[in-house]
Amino acid sequence: MVIATKKGLARVQELYQDRPQRVKELKAEGKKIIGYLCIYPVTEMMTALDIVPYRVLGDMRESITKADAYLPPVVCPFLRSCLDQGLKGKYDFLDGMVTSHICDVGSSLSGIWHYTVKTPFHYNIDTPHTVHETALNQTKGVMKAFQKALEDFAGKKITNAKLKKAIILHNEQRALVREAYELKKQDPPLISGAETLKTIKVIQSIPVAEGNALLRDIISEVKTRKNKPAKKNARLLVWGSILDDTPLIEMIESLDANVVMDDTCVGSRPFFDDVKITPDPIDGLAQHYLVDIKCPRTFRARDFYAAKKNYMEDLKTRFSYLSDYAREWKANGVILQSVRYCDTHGYEVPQVRDYLREIDLPGIYLEHDYTVGALAPLKTRVQGFLEIIG
Amino acid sequence: MIPIYFAGIDLGSTMTKVVIVDESEKLLAYVVQHTGAEHRRLANKVMEESLRQAVITIDEITYVIATGYGRINVPFADKQITELTCHARGVAHFFPNVRLAIDIGGQDAKGMKVKNGKLIDFVMSDKCAAGTGRYLEVVAHTLGLTLEDLGPISLKSTRKVSISSICTIFAQQEVSNHLSAGVLLEDVVAGLHDAIAGRVARMVRRLKIEPDVVFTGGVAKNIGVIKALEENLGCPVLVPSEPLLSGALGAALIARETILKAQAEGKSVQTTRRKLGEATFFKQDDGILSGN
Repeated sequence: MVIATKKGLARVQELYQDRPQRVKELKAEGKKIIGYLCIYPVTEMMTALDIVPYRVLGDMRESITKADAYLPPVVCPFLRSCLDQGLKGKYDFLDGMVTSHICDVGSSLSGIWHYTVKTPFHYNIDTPHTVHETALNQTKGVMKAFQKALEDFAGKKITNAKLKKAIILHNEQRALVREAYELKKQDPPLISGAETLKTIKVIQSIPVAEGNALLRDIISEVKTRKNKPAKKNARLLVWGSILDDTPLIEMIESLDANVVMDDTCVGSRPFFDDVKITPDPIDGLAQHYLVDIKCPRTFRARDFYAAKKNYMEDLKTRFSYLSDYAREWKANGVILQSVRYCDTHGYEVPQVRDYLREIDLPGIYLEHDYTVGALAPLKTRVQGFLEIIG
Repeated sequence: MIPIYFAGIDLGSTMTKVVIVDESEKLLAYVVQHTGAEHRRLANKVMEESLRQAVITIDEITYVIATGYGRINVPFADKQITELTCHARGVAHFFPNVRLAIDIGGQDAKGMKVKNGKLIDFVMSDKCAAGTGRYLEVVAHTLGLTLEDLGPISLKSTRKVSISSICTIFAQQEVSNHLSAGVLLEDVVAGLHDAIAGRVARMVRRLKIEPDVVFTGGVAKNIGVIKALEENLGCPVLVPSEPLLSGALGAALIARETILKAQAEGKSVQTTRRKLGEATFFKQDDGILSGN
C-alpha cells in the first residue's frame, strides 16, 4: 500500500498536478475505478460496492485535436475536451464510465464515448429535467435500474445497509466541505477561491473516505497558516457553468477581489445539501439528485401545474439561495460566468440577472472559451466591474 | 504654492495617448502616437514628449494613472484603472450630461452607461476585432484608400449597400463582390459604416439609449460612422473635438481627484518613484520601479 507523504493543501497541489495518481495506485492494488460525468451519477452506489468514483473532467490547458471528428466546434468546449481526453487515452485506467442526461450534448457524448473510447462498463442515467412528482418517480426508477447494472458489473448486491453506510460517508464529505466553506466567511477568507477549486477537484478524484481525511487536514491547516489570502476590497460570489481549472478564478483574485463563495459544480453545488436517510435509500437519493442539487439543467419551477405564473415569485423560488449565499458570505458582487455554447447556463443568465437586480446585488456576466489564454479582455471587464462596485 | 500636475496615460491596442492636467483641470499637454509592439519603451517616449510640451519634469507630476489595454505596461504609473471608468470620466468632462458613452477603438467597442459623471454599467464587444477601427483599416487598405478618406467618401452615397458581415475577412469578400457588381465606391463605404454602427447600436441597446450620447475613440473621427450611428440609434451623437483623448484625460482627472481627496482627508497616497530611463521588459522592471 502506498502512503501519501504530503498532507493538506500540499497534497491537494500534488494531486491537482497529477489527478489520477491516487486512483492508478488503487487500481494496481485491484480496486475498480468508475468515471462519472457531471454531478448527477449516483456515486454513493459506487462507494457502496467499494468502487472508487472518479470525476471525468476536461483539460483546458490542452487544445482539442481528436474530439472535433465527433462533436462540432460549436458545442460545449468542456464536453469536447472531456471526449478529447478520453480519445487520447487519458482515461484508459477507468473500468467504467457513467454519464447522465445533463444536457443534450452531454447525452450525445455518452453514446460517442461508448463507441469510441470503449470504457469496459458504460451506463447512461436518463435523469429527468423537472422536479414534479412524476419526474421524481421516474428518477427512482432510473436509479434502481442503474443500481442493478452496477451490481451486475461488480458481481455483488448493494444491500440497503451498505447503501446507507455509503450515503453517511458521502454526507460526511458534504458536511466537511461546508465546514471548509464556513472558513471563507471570514475577511479575508481563510481559503482562496483557487484553493477551493483545486480542493474540490481533488476530492472528486480520490476515494470519499480519503477525501474526508484530506478535508479535515485542510480545515485545521488553514486555521493556523501564515500565508493566508490577503484582504481585498471586493468579496465575490461566482455563479455558473463548470470551471474545472483555476485560471479564471486566479485572474479575478489577481485583482482587488477574493472569491469567497461559488455556485458551480467543481465548487459548492454537489455538497450543500445532504442526502436524506430514508427507509428506502433510493427515495433520499432521488430527492437529492433531482430536486436538491441546484444546476440549471433541472428546471425547479415554483408550482409546475399553476395556470397563472408569477415571474418574480418563480425567480425567488429558484434563486433565493444565491441571496442567502451573498448575505452569509458577505459578497458584494456576483460574477456570472459560463463556458461558451453552454445553452443550459446561457438561458439561465437573464433570469439570474433579473433576480440579482431585484435583490440589488451587482453582477456581471462573462462568457469564456475554456482555454487558459485570452483572459486580458475578461480582466478588463472584471476590473471595470470592481471599479463600479467600489 | 507649488503647482502640482497629474498625468493620465492610455495605452490602447493601436494608439497611445498621454494627457497632463494641473490642479484646476487645465489641460497642459497631450500626445497621441501609434502604440506599436514595445509598449514599455513607447510609454516612456510619449510621456517624455508630453512633459516637454507642458514644460515640466517627471518629478513635478504628483500622480500618474495608466489605463487602456496595455495599462500594466506603464512602469512609471502609480495606479491602473480600466479604460471603462476613465472614458466615462473623460467624456463627462466635455459633456457633463452624458448618459451613454460609446467608444470604438482599434480592437474593441465599448458602451458605457454614465450617471453624474460616473460609470454605472458597461458592455464590451467580444474579443475579435469585428466592427472596430481595425476593420475599417483593413477594408480601406483593400479599397486603396486611407482611413481619413472613408468618412468624406461615404457622405456622397445615395444608395448605400448592405454589408451583412461584420467579420473583417468576410466583409472584405462582400466588398469585392459589390465592387465587381459595379456598385459605386461611396455606396460600399457607406454600407461598411452602417454595418459597424448597427452592431454597436445593438450592443449598447442593452444599456438603454438615453441622451446625451457621446461617441469617442479613433473611429469617432469618421464622419460617416457618426452619421450612421445617429441613424441607428435614432438620436443625435456628440463627439468631442479630440475623440481619442477621453481615456487619458479621464485617467488624469481621476489622478487629480485621488490626490485632492487624499489631501482634504489628510491622508497620504502611495506613489511610485518615477524615472524615465531605458525601459526594461516584463518582470525585470523592479530596478525602474524602485529607482535602483
